[in-house]
Amino acid sequence: MTTPIQDQALSLTVNGVPVGPMPVPRGTSMQKFLHEWLGLTGARMGCGQGICNACTVMVEEDGKVPREMRTCITGAHWFEGRRVRTVEGHAREEADGSLTLSPVQTAFVEAFAFQCGYCTPGFVTAATVLIERLKAAPVPRDAVEAVVTEALDHHICRCTGYVRYHTAVRDLVLATPGLVTA
Amino acid sequence: MRKILLAAAGLALGGAALIGLLASGALERSVVSRAVETPLGADQIRALAPRGAAVAAAADCYACHTARGGAPWAGGTPFETPFGTIHATNISPSPEGIGGWSRAEFHRALRDGVAPGGRHLYPAMPYTSYRGMTEGDVDALYAYLITREKMPVANRPNGLAFPFDQRWTLSAWNLLNLPAAVAVPDPTRSDLWNRGRYVAEALGHCGECHTPRNLMQGLRGEAALTGAVIEGLEAPDITPAGLARMGFAPASLARFMGTGLSAQGGATHQMFEVVHYSTRHMARADLAAMAAYLFDRDAPEADPAVPAAAPAPTPLAAAGSDRAQASYDGLCAGCHGAQGEGIPHVSVALRTNAGLRTASPASVVRAVLAGLPAQTFPGGERMDAMPGFAADLDDAALADLTNWMRTEWGGQASTLGPQDMAAIRAAIAPRHAARN
Repeated sequence: MTTPIQDQALSLTVNGVPVGPMPVPRGTSMQKFLHEWLGLTGARMGCGQGICNACTVMVEEDGKVPREMRTCITGAHWFEGRRVRTVEGHAREEADGSLTLSPVQTAFVEAFAFQCGYCTPGFVTAATVLIERLKAAPVPRDAVEAVVTEALDHHICRCTGYVRYHTAVRDLVLATPGLVTA
Repeated sequence: MRKILLAAAGLALGGAALIGLLASGALERSVVSRAVETPLGADQIRALAPRGAAVAAAADCYACHTARGGAPWAGGTPFETPFGTIHATNISPSPEGIGGWSRAEFHRALRDGVAPGGRHLYPAMPYTSYRGMTEGDVDALYAYLITREKMPVANRPNGLAFPFDQRWTLSAWNLLNLPAAVAVPDPTRSDLWNRGRYVAEALGHCGECHTPRNLMQGLRGEAALTGAVIEGLEAPDITPAGLARMGFAPASLARFMGTGLSAQGGATHQMFEVVHYSTRHMARADLAAMAAYLFDRDAPEADPAVPAAAPAPTPLAAAGSDRAQASYDGLCAGCHGAQGEGIPHVSVALRTNAGLRTASPASVVRAVLAGLPAQTFPGGERMDAMPGFAADLDDAALADLTNWMRTEWGGQASTLGPQDMAAIRAAIAPRHAARN
């Protein structure tokens, strides 16, 4: 069964930069759009079935905690008018052109949290969403272990880096003022 | 005045006498014969046990009498009823279970609903259906269960409020809801049909979920198998017309019961457990007989040369349809396909999905909101976990999407509104809606 390609205009904001309107065929996945229209290949194609979460990006909304979306199973046009942050948009570009990693990225590097790095964009996204969530609603210190597990649980890492990812995020949460009560 | 007093006294005496009669058990109508008073010998038990394993599978004993993560046959599964929570009991041969039960006591519990000591079972245990089981099958089941490993697990107390915690009142319930006699084979129908009726009605107890209940929670015989709501989800109409509406034919229904998967979708929620613990383990001949009976056929039927046509789409307001298609393309098509065709071993087809053709939208809406767990099916078949979309679809968008799928692929007139979605959303446990 073949259906004719039907273009539909798409406009959104990616990593703070307005994109579009540009014609994109209906039914294009967000991941394909990021990779092939915008050249942003950080959101990885893993399972293509919404299971491994290597492809997640952050959807940001005013007054709300950002959330994760899987780009491999979500259509590009679902993001029409929305603000998206991919893994390429976490580090800050300084005036001299150098990059300063985000606290989550720094924590992962310092903890040697990843080996091959394929799943890392998804873990950066999940951990950053968690940090933003805790800024809005801190949790008690003794709940941190469980909260970090719940936030990262749906991400798959085939190099068995789970413990180092978990430790890195837990330590970052405990060391960042305002994320933990009591 | 005197007459009134006399009448009142008469009523009180009559009432007391009736309660006394009920409590004494004099009104109980047992279907258990005297023959089972003779205990089975050890050799007989050994010989019967393997057949009992097949009976236990067909009667789906395990799904209720083994808590998830609990010891086998040791009970503990909770059941939410309108009267409170009931827990399935230990039926392993330990003292907490059926260890001390005689053959006759087991027969009475299974077919009359009365355990040793005259303790009435709650009808959450489907003795109203098991009443139709043959003595031979009950013997085999007894032989199987009594030879399992003893599980010393105490029974969990039930959470029933007065007067529902008064077990003797169940003799009144039984008087009104328990059939006095059991069905005998119908000589005008084929052996296949009669076997199918026995498998579906007595062993498989399909009606316990698929037949609506009256205010007393007794099965409404006049509406048998026409569908019911159980724990917030629809057990669909499985009369011949209802099965055909879902897109089943006798052969495909038998396959579905054996595998849990078909063009009509995968077995979900409680029906997944039925397939997982019961029907996938049943003899293929029994599944064919059950399908023949449910379709009211006397002979087996091969697959039709041409599958039944999909129902024609029904009209839907253009604005709602456009919004729904945008939601579908954005959130659903990645796995279920642009045309609802699904992906083998990953996600079910939607355009032929029975869940879009049933009267209630609850199952589909619940899956969209809360997702579904990954499932394994016989033959190495599997379906991936489905994420929940509670945070991505508000009630208006969800209503549009549900109406569109039900009209486009289900051929239904569907005019659900945001308030209907809100009601289903509220009924879902918060833990389901928390993520995604």
